[in-house]
Amino acid sequence: MPRAVRDGFVASLALVPSVFVYGTVFGGLAVQAGLRAIEVWGMSLLVFAGASQFVAVPMLAAGASPLAIVVTTYVVNMRHYLMAATLAPAFRGFSRGWLAVVAHLLNDESFAIAVARHNPPDPWVYIGSAAAICGAFLGGVVVGTQVGGLVADPARWGLDFAFPAVFLALVAVQLRRRADWLVALASAVVAVAIALVLPGNWHIVVAGVAVSGLAALWLAPEIA
Amino acid sequence: MRTEVWLVIIGMAVVTYLTRAPLLLALARRPLPPRVRLWLRLIPLAVLPALALPMVLVDHGRLTLSLAHPPLWGAIVVVVLASRRVNLLVTVALGVATVAILRAVG
Repeated sequence: MPRAVRDGFVASLALVPSVFVYGTVFGGLAVQAGLRAIEVWGMSLLVFAGASQFVAVPMLAAGASPLAIVVTTYVVNMRHYLMAATLAPAFRGFSRGWLAVVAHLLNDESFAIAVARHNPPDPWVYIGSAAAICGAFLGGVVVGTQVGGLVADPARWGLDFAFPAVFLALVAVQLRRRADWLVALASAVVAVAIALVLPGNWHIVVAGVAVSGLAALWLAPEIA
Repeated sequence: MRTEVWLVIIGMAVVTYLTRAPLLLALARRPLPPRVRLWLRLIPLAVLPALALPMVLVDHGRLTLSLAHPPLWGAIVVVVLASRRVNLLVTVALGVATVAILRAVG
């Protein structure tokens, strides 16, 4: 168990600089938008979903209705359903209390690392990764609220690209059978097409459910 | 204490938790039929490209397939290195460096 935790932690180091810097950018932006540091920390701790927080802060600053902000947050985070369903069987032996805590730490990056390392995913790899990502994000947010974003434009340093880079690298190592390639390519095409017409994160939810679901109906279950 | 800001934060926290916890708790403790297991195995293969490709190819709602688009080259570097089983940290660092250099010269 401790070894797998370390594996997940170490595998996540590729993302720690980007997650940290984006945390500082979020903290800096949120304070500039008029939030107090304690509110920014509270949001980062209680919501802990970076993309939806980046969407919510300008809405809060612009005086959007609370309901609109909460609904938008829900839609942006609906992709968690897919990740939770995928990770769930790995957590068979865990108590309900543990599951309730582990659920809160669910994030795209740790999901990607856990599913790419082992099949079925190793829960301890996921926990090690979640610790690294959570620490980097919250640390970045605290620094950002106190001194502002460390980098005015993270994209200039390519830091925005670390996220798709990790997702691409982790899917590339999982492509073994021809069916795997078909699912990945079909999902990429569907997701890009949807992203061009729908805002938010609908492309992840729709491509993720529809392409994997159709493939599961069509393929023989023995290859599970 | 600004009550309205905290109400929004708590609302965001509740709906986000509702996207994370229910399926994790419901599916962790029961054996699943083979076809559902197959589906769960295929979800990462669908979700990961669905996360990544729009980040690389879609910019402000428009498709950017131009060769002058640095993330496209970064993505090629990453996929080539990763499929040769190069270490994740090295792969991502070289992908990020590719994008940063192309943006600096571009």
